[in-house]
Amino acid sequence: MSNQKKRNFQIEAFKHRVVVDPKYADKTWKILEHAIHEIYNHNASGLSFEELYRNAYNMVLHKFGEKLYNGLVATMTSHLREISKSIEAAQGDSFLEELNRKWNDHNKALQMIRDILMYMDRTYIPSTHKTPVHELGLNLWRDNIIHSSKIQTRLQNTLLELVHRERTGEVIDRGLMRNIVKMLMDLGSSVYQEDFEKPFLEVSAEFYRGESQKFIECCDCGDYLKKAEKRLNEEIERVTHYLDSKSEVKITNVVEKEMIANHMLRLVHMENSGLVNMLLDDKYEDLGRMYNLFHRVPNGLSTIREVMTSHLRETGKQLVTDPERLKDPVEFVQRLLDEKDKYDSIISNAFNNDKTFQNALNSSFEYFINLNARSPEFISLFVDDKLRKGLKGVSEEDVEIILDKVMMLFRYLQEKDVFEKYYKQHLAKRLLSGKTISDDAERSLIVKLKTECGYQFTSKLEGMFTDMKTSQDTMQGFYASHLELGDARTLVVQVLTTGSWPTQPGVTCNLPAEMSALCEKFRSYYLGTHTGRRLSWQTNMGTADVKATFGKGGQKHELNVSTYQMCVLMLFNNAERLSYKEIEQATEIPAADLKRCLQSMACVKGKNVLRKEPMSKDIGEEDVFFVNDKFTSKFYKVKIGTVVAQKESEPEKQETRQRVEEDRKPQIEAAIVRIMKSRRVLDHNNIITEVTKQLQSRFLANPTEIKKRIESLIERDFLERDSVDRKLYRYLA
Amino acid sequence: MRKEDTVKLISAEGFEFVIHKEAAMVSQTIRNMLTSPGSFAETEHGEVTFPEISTTILEKICQYFYWSLQYANGKETEFPIEPELTLELMMAANYLHT
Repeated sequence: MSNQKKRNFQIEAFKHRVVVDPKYADKTWKILEHAIHEIYNHNASGLSFEELYRNAYNMVLHKFGEKLYNGLVATMTSHLREISKSIEAAQGDSFLEELNRKWNDHNKALQMIRDILMYMDRTYIPSTHKTPVHELGLNLWRDNIIHSSKIQTRLQNTLLELVHRERTGEVIDRGLMRNIVKMLMDLGSSVYQEDFEKPFLEVSAEFYRGESQKFIECCDCGDYLKKAEKRLNEEIERVTHYLDSKSEVKITNVVEKEMIANHMLRLVHMENSGLVNMLLDDKYEDLGRMYNLFHRVPNGLSTIREVMTSHLRETGKQLVTDPERLKDPVEFVQRLLDEKDKYDSIISNAFNNDKTFQNALNSSFEYFINLNARSPEFISLFVDDKLRKGLKGVSEEDVEIILDKVMMLFRYLQEKDVFEKYYKQHLAKRLLSGKTISDDAERSLIVKLKTECGYQFTSKLEGMFTDMKTSQDTMQGFYASHLELGDARTLVVQVLTTGSWPTQPGVTCNLPAEMSALCEKFRSYYLGTHTGRRLSWQTNMGTADVKATFGKGGQKHELNVSTYQMCVLMLFNNAERLSYKEIEQATEIPAADLKRCLQSMACVKGKNVLRKEPMSKDIGEEDVFFVNDKFTSKFYKVKIGTVVAQKESEPEKQETRQRVEEDRKPQIEAAIVRIMKSRRVLDHNNIITEVTKQLQSRFLANPTEIKKRIESLIERDFLERDSVDRKLYRYLA
Repeated sequence: MRKEDTVKLISAEGFEFVIHKEAAMVSQTIRNMLTSPGSFAETEHGEVTFPEISTTILEKICQYFYWSLQYANGKETEFPIEPELTLELMMAANYLHT
């Protein structure tokens, strides 16, 4: 105010409007009271807002605020009493409608009253800490209408009755319901909770307790779950239509508890329709429903998981221990894979790809696959079968899928080194007999094994591939330097590095003279180009093609046979009949192998190039053999397989087992030394756990074996026992 | 200026000021008068009589309404008030809740 200095301006003392008329307050209040009556009677159009506001303004200004306020309370209360009476008088269904209509009227009136008394709301009420007009109106409504003895229980019962009718399928006026519930919420959350929500939840619990009891007696598990889901959705829908959104959790909790949690075990174990049956029948929908519903209650999922796990373990155990199944390893593994696929798809389709379920699945598989000590062998056989013939005409992606699945089973194995042993044997056979279908598939699997178990695991397998490659080059070199042999490559030698291949030392036989000359040539060539090497023939692993002419008709065939078989056949070039003893002497083939090879040539129908006396299934020491002149075959080339026990026989199994145990020793020792080198001092139990942990990726180390290894290391002065605490080991170096 | 967008304010001496409703609603009291759910006389006729506010003050108030609409949001202009009007203007402001 810059011009204040220029003019001489005096502020006059504030003149209170002196109230001359002592009845001023009463008169003014009468006007306002009348106005309130008019407002309640829908007669407000004649009133002047300005006049009423001014009157209220002046009353407050002249310190009649309290009179105004009390007057308001009294007037409003008396109106509400009237309203209460008219609501009470309403019959039947019109009760709620009347209540709703009056509530709307009251709300409108309340707003008008608040507007004209705004000045009081603004100044008088805050300074005296009284309830603001709007809230006052709501409170008076609550106390006089909702909590009036004749209305309170009636309202509650009417609402609950309506909900019950809707639950039993009747259509109710949801709009009216929403308005009434909204009124309760407007009156304060405690009013809503006390007067409606609490009894509503109690009644609901009662209702669903009864219903679930009824359902569970007469429905199977799938139907029950469908019904429970439907009820749950209905309740959620109900909340969105006319209840407070905060009630959703509460009412769904009630349904969950009454319909699911209380009957969980019974549902899961229900005969002929429970969880196990759903799993057996691949009922994705039912399973998904069960998952979603049980997800909502505490311990729900763990119940499903436990039942699934125990079922899985049970069936898995039957699968791997059923002697019938053990007859065909390929079928065996295929069934495992099918089982895994089945549960994978259940988990992804019905169980929301739940990690905990996947873990349960994995641990179950790990559990039962390792129940059968032959699982590693069978898995390798399965791969062998696939890589020999199973993958013919299958696209590359599908090959990858199959291999990935095999890898998955492999991961479950505890004795990975046993698998390696078998795999090596099978791979060797495949490579040497040229039976492998796809080099890419072979290599792809090795890469997978490598990523899974590290370089060490596959180095020998890779060495085998390298040998095959070098052998090819060697053969080229050999024939290049021996041109006199011509183009007919009658000898193909594969030079195998000792150690990489599963060779059996010292198994030899007498080769026919024609052959041994050729072999000698190769030997001198090879040793001439490489110094410091030794060659020994692995006759048990070779194959040969023999051209043979049968009988007088001159039936010509090319026989694809093993080296042993070839040796035997060659003998018949110079003899008509040979006894078992004679053959054994001439060839010096080990007895077991010889018997097997004779059996395959004399006793297999369609492949019987030899005959024997007496005719029988088995080879006896006294048998006599001669060429089968009447041998015929549709094909020119005849492959004569050795009667291979595809699976290992019992003694072979023992042997492999032993070799595996033998191989484990240095690995355990290496692990112990590695650990002790870094720890220096460690007690017995800790060593065992650490060693087990380190070797877990390859096999499950046996504690007694570890103990033996420790003792052996102590003997060799790698470790010593602590002189005070005998449980403590010390690293010496 | 359509009739339904305007409101007529009448002073103690009977002078009539026709202004935009939007401007008039700067006053909380007038806003309530015009928006209250029941149909008060003011809402029906679109005019409000102030028997306790003089023409000079009401004129000043109307000016203030428009000024407030235009400049209230942070514009640095001053609303000129003659010192002799100050007191009455303040009382009116209290009444109109402006």
